[in-house]
Amino acid sequence: MSNEVWVVADLKLDGSIRKVTFEALSEARRKLVGKIGGNLCGVLLGSGVSNLAPELGKYGAEKVYVVDNELLKDSNPDGYTKALADLIKKYEPYIVIAGNTNLAEDYLPRVAGRVQAGLTMDSIDLDLTDDNRLKIQRYSHSSKVISTQEFLDHKPMMTTVRPNSFKPEEDQKDPEIVNESVDFNSEDIWTNVVEIKAKKSDLPPLTEADRVVSGGRGLGSEENFKYIYELAEAFDAAPGATRAAVDAGYCPYDMQVGQTGKAVSPNLYVAVAISGAIQHFSGMGSSKVIVAINKDPDAPIFKKCDYGICGDLFELLPPLTDEVKKLLQD
Amino acid sequence: MKWVLNPYDEFAVEEALRTKEQFGGEVVLVTMGPARCREALRTGLAMGADSSVHIEDDNFAFSDNYVVGKIIANEIKNLGEYDLIFTGFKIIDDESVQVGIHIAEELGIPHVALVSKVVRIDPDQKRVTCQKEIDGGHVIVDVPMPALITCPDAMNEPRYASLPGIMKAKKKPLKEVLVDDINLEALGLSRESLGKDGARVKTTSIKVPQIERKLKVITGKDNPAVKGDEIIESTHELIKLLREEAKVV
Ligand SMILES: Cc1cc2nc3c(=O)[nH]c(=O)nc-3n(C[C@H](O)[C@H](O)[C@H](O)COP(=O)(O)OP(=O)(O)OC[C@H]3O[C@@H](n4cnc5c(N)ncnc54)[C@H](O)[C@@H]3O)c2cc1C
Repeated sequence: MSNEVWVVADLKLDGSIRKVTFEALSEARRKLVGKIGGNLCGVLLGSGVSNLAPELGKYGAEKVYVVDNELLKDSNPDGYTKALADLIKKYEPYIVIAGNTNLAEDYLPRVAGRVQAGLTMDSIDLDLTDDNRLKIQRYSHSSKVISTQEFLDHKPMMTTVRPNSFKPEEDQKDPEIVNESVDFNSEDIWTNVVEIKAKKSDLPPLTEADRVVSGGRGLGSEENFKYIYELAEAFDAAPGATRAAVDAGYCPYDMQVGQTGKAVSPNLYVAVAISGAIQHFSGMGSSKVIVAINKDPDAPIFKKCDYGICGDLFELLPPLTDEVKKLLQD
Repeated sequence: MKWVLNPYDEFAVEEALRTKEQFGGEVVLVTMGPARCREALRTGLAMGADSSVHIEDDNFAFSDNYVVGKIIANEIKNLGEYDLIFTGFKIIDDESVQVGIHIAEELGIPHVALVSKVVRIDPDQKRVTCQKEIDGGHVIVDVPMPALITCPDAMNEPRYASLPGIMKAKKKPLKEVLVDDINLEALGLSRESLGKDGARVKTTSIKVPQIERKLKVITGKDNPAVKGDEIIESTHELIKLLREEAKVV
């Protein structure tokens, strides 16, 4: 059993590393590695990814395990499962961390099953017990409470971290590169990727965005959602929505924030024509600053926001969008 | 063909019923949890599922996800052959995405997570093609059957149970399984590995998140809502607060 703490890099569709990977490396270095007297390591899985190793070194990785294989193209979940499980069996790390992305939610439970590890998802705090077992905090019970969870003394201990929960902080290292080859059998890869449709958008992804502008049922139509997209663009924010708006067909499901949608934790969350249901709050209640725009003075959201304007969105959004544009251009 | 489901989730039930309507076969609901789960099973049967299995025992409460996955996978094996398993994407209470995928790993079959649409089922080639949501877009994949599919919210519009459906459901089989009915040893489990005490991850405390909100709401002077000239003033004021007080822009 080694004393290594691993952070598995999450890649975007364009092949670059997600910010959450740097957040995880930074927090692992600050909170875990020193105390267990171990090493911080990065893990890179993919096709044509070897050149990314120095980027992990920039955030403190002393060693980077690389599996560069054509079969790991497009973050194939079966390939990832096999590659990471094999690496874990061979090197027996102490702790394994990844970002809480759709990809991690897809393949990590399988890895944990295969290597018999404990796994928690979506941590917002990383720590160790006195006897150096991993101890994390996460939202549970429809995000009404934060649970502290401790791992048994059983390695590896695995968790994912919620994007935007930890501060990325550079700590330049010149990492040792460990190239690993994994033997894939034809049965290892079930998933045949037929087609990838990347969203055409210059806006940041919802879960990682520093700012989010969401619209609710009050928008009234798919057409009117342009008010949300325009304000989002002005703020350089990701657009989001409530389930009511998604159900009404105003926007796609991948924009849904809440208990059964995405969990976000931005610095600024602007809720437009959203009443403030508990199921919506369970996905954005940890945002640093919440702004509400609603025409109903009794809307529940006004009791749980930082700033609000009581008024009609169709009158308020155009001048607000203009003003934000002006402000952020200077 | 047989379509199995767990844990109870109306989107997953709906998807299985649609699949049955197109290709025939049988829909079996499988769930694990306390007595109140039976309500959910009754609803699923009333929607049109053919039979159900309820794994119920207090010994299972707070078990690790992998234990739950193992036990459910074992019950599914006991049901004989199947082609597709639909599960909810998350277990609502715990926001856990793990159980469905553990079931697939235990059964040694492929899974496709976060499927927004089942594009095509080819019973001859035994393959299923799905559109799944990924970070930054979506992707079309196809996998061999049997396979497990996790169903997110809004995947479809679940039907309501009709009155005749509800009447019929009362006569449909509802099998109950208790811990004594399961050969734990054969699954590599023991009584100690069940429940809270055997879990690899244990919840030690919970707290209610306390985030103080500023609650500054700008309203109109004569009317609760801002109107006319107040509109521009209010957006000015909001920007000023965001900039000078909150320092987020
Ligand atoms: C199991 C379960 C899971 C759920 N999961 C989610 C989830 O993940 N995410 C989620 O969001 N919801 C979820 N919900 C639904 C949730 O309970 C609410 O129904 C939903 O969030 C309401 O959306 P809304 O605020 O857009 O709509 P409403 O509650 O209808 O509110 C619309 C608001 O718009 C305001 N408005 C209307 N017109 C204007 C205007 N011109 N200008 C300004 N304001 C205006 C109204 O005053 C009102 O406050 C879930 C529910 C259940 C039961």
